[in-house]
Amino acid sequence: MMFLRSCSLALRCSCFRNPHVSIRAFSSSRTARKDAAENALDLDAWKSVMRSQALQEETKSPSRSAIDDNRELVEMWHQAGKFVPKNITDEQLEALAQLTTRSAKKKYLKFLAIKESHKITKKEKQEKKKSEREPEGEREREELKNTFLLKFWSSSADRVQSWRAAQAMRFGQPLVYDMSYEQHMSRRELENTIAQLMESEGWNRRAADPFHLHFCGLQPDGAYQRELLKRYGSHTWERLLITATERTHVEMFPQQDLVYLTADSKNVLHTFDHSKVYIVGAMVDRSIHSGVSLANAKRLKLATARLPLDEYLDWECGAKNLTLDQMMRILMTVKDTGSWKKALEFVPKRKHAGFQQESNRFMGTTKSRFVRDDSSESRFTRNDSSESRFTRNDSSESRFTRNDSSESRFPARAQNHLKNKTDGHKKQAQRAQCREDRH
Amino acid sequence: MGSLVVSKSRTCIQHLCTPWVANPLYFRPALACLPQQNIMHAVRLIINPHTQYYSTKGDKQGTEKGFTPRTRRAFPNSVFTAGTAKRTAEYLKKRAGVDTEELSPLRARGSVKVALPDHPLTPSEWAKFKESSSKPERFEMQIMEGLLATNADVNIAKSLLAYVVQDKGTLSYELLLRYLTLCVSGGHHSEVFDTYDIMRTCFKTLDTGASSLFIKGFSQTERWREALVVLEGMKKALRPSPRNYSDAITGAALHGDTETSWRLYDELLELGLVPNQDTWQCLFQSGITQQGHEDKLFSVLSYMRDNQIYPEEPLIKTIKAWFESLPDQKWNGKFSYVVPSGECKNCKASLESIQLTEEEYAELKDKVMKKVIEGSDVFKKTTTEELNIFKSFVKQRPPFDIVIDGLNVANTTPKATHSETLLAVVLELEQQGLNILVLGRKHMLQPSRNWDRQNMNKIKQKAHCFFTENISEDDPFLLYAALHSGVHCNFLSRDLMRDHKACLPDSATRRLFFKWQRGHQLVISHYVPGKRVRFQRISAYDTIVQTSGSSWHIPYDENRGDRATYEVPQKWLCLTQEH
Repeated sequence: MMFLRSCSLALRCSCFRNPHVSIRAFSSSRTARKDAAENALDLDAWKSVMRSQALQEETKSPSRSAIDDNRELVEMWHQAGKFVPKNITDEQLEALAQLTTRSAKKKYLKFLAIKESHKITKKEKQEKKKSEREPEGEREREELKNTFLLKFWSSSADRVQSWRAAQAMRFGQPLVYDMSYEQHMSRRELENTIAQLMESEGWNRRAADPFHLHFCGLQPDGAYQRELLKRYGSHTWERLLITATERTHVEMFPQQDLVYLTADSKNVLHTFDHSKVYIVGAMVDRSIHSGVSLANAKRLKLATARLPLDEYLDWECGAKNLTLDQMMRILMTVKDTGSWKKALEFVPKRKHAGFQQESNRFMGTTKSRFVRDDSSESRFTRNDSSESRFTRNDSSESRFTRNDSSESRFPARAQNHLKNKTDGHKKQAQRAQCREDRH
Repeated sequence: MGSLVVSKSRTCIQHLCTPWVANPLYFRPALACLPQQNIMHAVRLIINPHTQYYSTKGDKQGTEKGFTPRTRRAFPNSVFTAGTAKRTAEYLKKRAGVDTEELSPLRARGSVKVALPDHPLTPSEWAKFKESSSKPERFEMQIMEGLLATNADVNIAKSLLAYVVQDKGTLSYELLLRYLTLCVSGGHHSEVFDTYDIMRTCFKTLDTGASSLFIKGFSQTERWREALVVLEGMKKALRPSPRNYSDAITGAALHGDTETSWRLYDELLELGLVPNQDTWQCLFQSGITQQGHEDKLFSVLSYMRDNQIYPEEPLIKTIKAWFESLPDQKWNGKFSYVVPSGECKNCKASLESIQLTEEEYAELKDKVMKKVIEGSDVFKKTTTEELNIFKSFVKQRPPFDIVIDGLNVANTTPKATHSETLLAVVLELEQQGLNILVLGRKHMLQPSRNWDRQNMNKIKQKAHCFFTENISEDDPFLLYAALHSGVHCNFLSRDLMRDHKACLPDSATRRLFFKWQRGHQLVISHYVPGKRVRFQRISAYDTIVQTSGSSWHIPYDENRGDRATYEVPQKWLCLTQEH
């Protein structure tokens, strides 16, 4: 980049910084005048060229529909260099025409454009592969080796997994996906949910000791069902080794066995219980609806729990609701190994800064302000309203204070402050520390 | 020191010291005998009640990081005062030692800095130039965008177009669009016309960007009527933006066709769009030069009133000029402010009270119950049993005078435990003979370091208490209890209730809620354990465009972007008629 810039600069110096060539500067030198004349001639030349290219006047048909208007809109946006798809189907135009606001249209078109560009890059990759493969097309047939196995086909693996899944259907621990969130989701969110469900089912199938999956509350002609059939295909769907039922989880299992997993719960799931039936809400909420699944659990008076994310991880950013397949893998691992540390490997790395030290685990909170709380209460203070309801300024304040309860960090001067164990003093010591760091 | 602080304040000392008789809870700063320490403390406590302040005696840095009391204005007397949020944020940044210097604005993605010529080039020179570029395929777009960014001479762009035509035989729509932008922003009208003719003939339709540019370009010229045609064409696929209408209206108003501009303005309102300040600016401007349409302009003012919109500084000057230009009405405008008792400093008239009418009260109460507490699902914020218990609890007791958000108040200061702070506040209010309700959560009843059992028992003796489940929301109950008790009932919390306001169905109800909140929310301004609790003032008047026939009072925004949405301006334009 630097090189290029210097290049162009050099070029600028050589050709543009010619003081004799300037339109306004009057000069008797012939070359300059010729240049100026040339410039003056050229300036409007493009207009005549473009005018000669005028389109034939189209006879506009009187019966123009909204679809046509939208098609034109997309075409012109494409020409204007906006991020919209090049080709658009009538179906998509219908969907576009139904969107009312400008921003909704733009978002939808952006989504389509991204989809289109993925498709194109995929095609290019495939073609490239194809062209690379062709030269080595005539491979000689290898000599038959002495082997006790025929080639291991993936269908054999499928068969093994199916046996396991069948076993899980008989003897496995149930895991419930609650399918009662149709009305809370937009179409795109629903599609994402189905994709995540399929992913989860796949991970479950490959596990050594799978769960017995239940899709509970699946309405026979609901959107979930329609989408599942579309994605799996009816043949596969019929033969899937899971229990899909329109009965709810409360009808299927005794109430005291059920534990609803939701990020809004106040209770932490410290140990995985093999005798419980865990419920995961099958819902993707891009526009975060907090408390929807907790409300469901409250209505049915079920026990709730959340994953011990705060206890094990230094959370940084992002919502604490994880995707369905991440939940599946976390539960799978904790069921097999009993170790949260291993299980929480599946939490996206971008959301946390790593695992917490053993020493400050179960402090209940990550805020030094609450370190002095006894644990019975600190369970509540985390999501306490008084905590979460501070105006934005307060939260920004807590972002800035360093949270470190080890005393060894403070210099001797600050140590005597720490003898008096109040938060204020702690913070003060930290500030002193921060100041020293800066100077 | 006290006087120093006051000298910066907007209200003069005479008014600060007048007792506000409307409410016994008002904080009366006896400024004359208030030591500086306390003022500073108050400022700090408002701004950040959670920070432990410590004396900086012997500290070489003195007041840390440029915090000097001299440069600070008097502390705001309400959380709803315009600019409070911004000042607080800046102050916190300073405290945290974050550089307040703005980071250099990041360039838009994909914008590459290219060297730009400073005069028109011949095609051969352009060709040479293109060879040196890093991205030859986007070369002309890059140059054009560069020219646009530096607001360069239009002739350079023309010579570029000439070269591209020679090189490729045609011009892309995108390039012409950029060129058009350059012409419109530079005000080269003849070029705009030519480009318009070319784009109309060479392409099937125009996209929204080009249409917007043409409307803007045409409205400045004699051909402004064509802008209206373009505007009509835009409506096919998308709703035009308020900006498009603003340009078209400006065009009509500039050329003296006020009929058309008002027709467009009505159309804009019918579409449910919110006009922008420029639109009103040009309408009032045209009202100065042309008579008629006075009632229309008065309706603009009532639109602002109904939608709680405040004009900005340039607009308020135009409004003042328009009033003063009205023949034989002898309007006289003065920029003024309103003293806390609700009296205009200039004309001494009392402003509208912030109290809601009975019907408004009933409506708001109903909406809060239906939308904020129950919402789409009662179980989101509470449970049905709890709600019934609460309803009967409120019914059985006499109306409260004040409802306290227990957890919020308890967290006011880190110097005392939660229950001590809460008890101090309850005692202070009880001394004033008020009927108190304390709302909290059940975990407060579990004895712990922060929640001392004896303190809690004392609180229970002095006030009515209601404790919700730990996983329920307590704010909605607070709002309902306060509304249920009637006009005289206030509530005490530092929470601005923005999330609950957002639950309300429409903006009219939200404005109603905000009005009620400004008139009934008490905020602890400052509390040191062992001393008296002080409260921020509650506004007695409503900050809204208002008239009494022979006078107008219009609040306005002093500087843009200084006011958060949950704040109201402090500056007023006072218009009176001379007789």
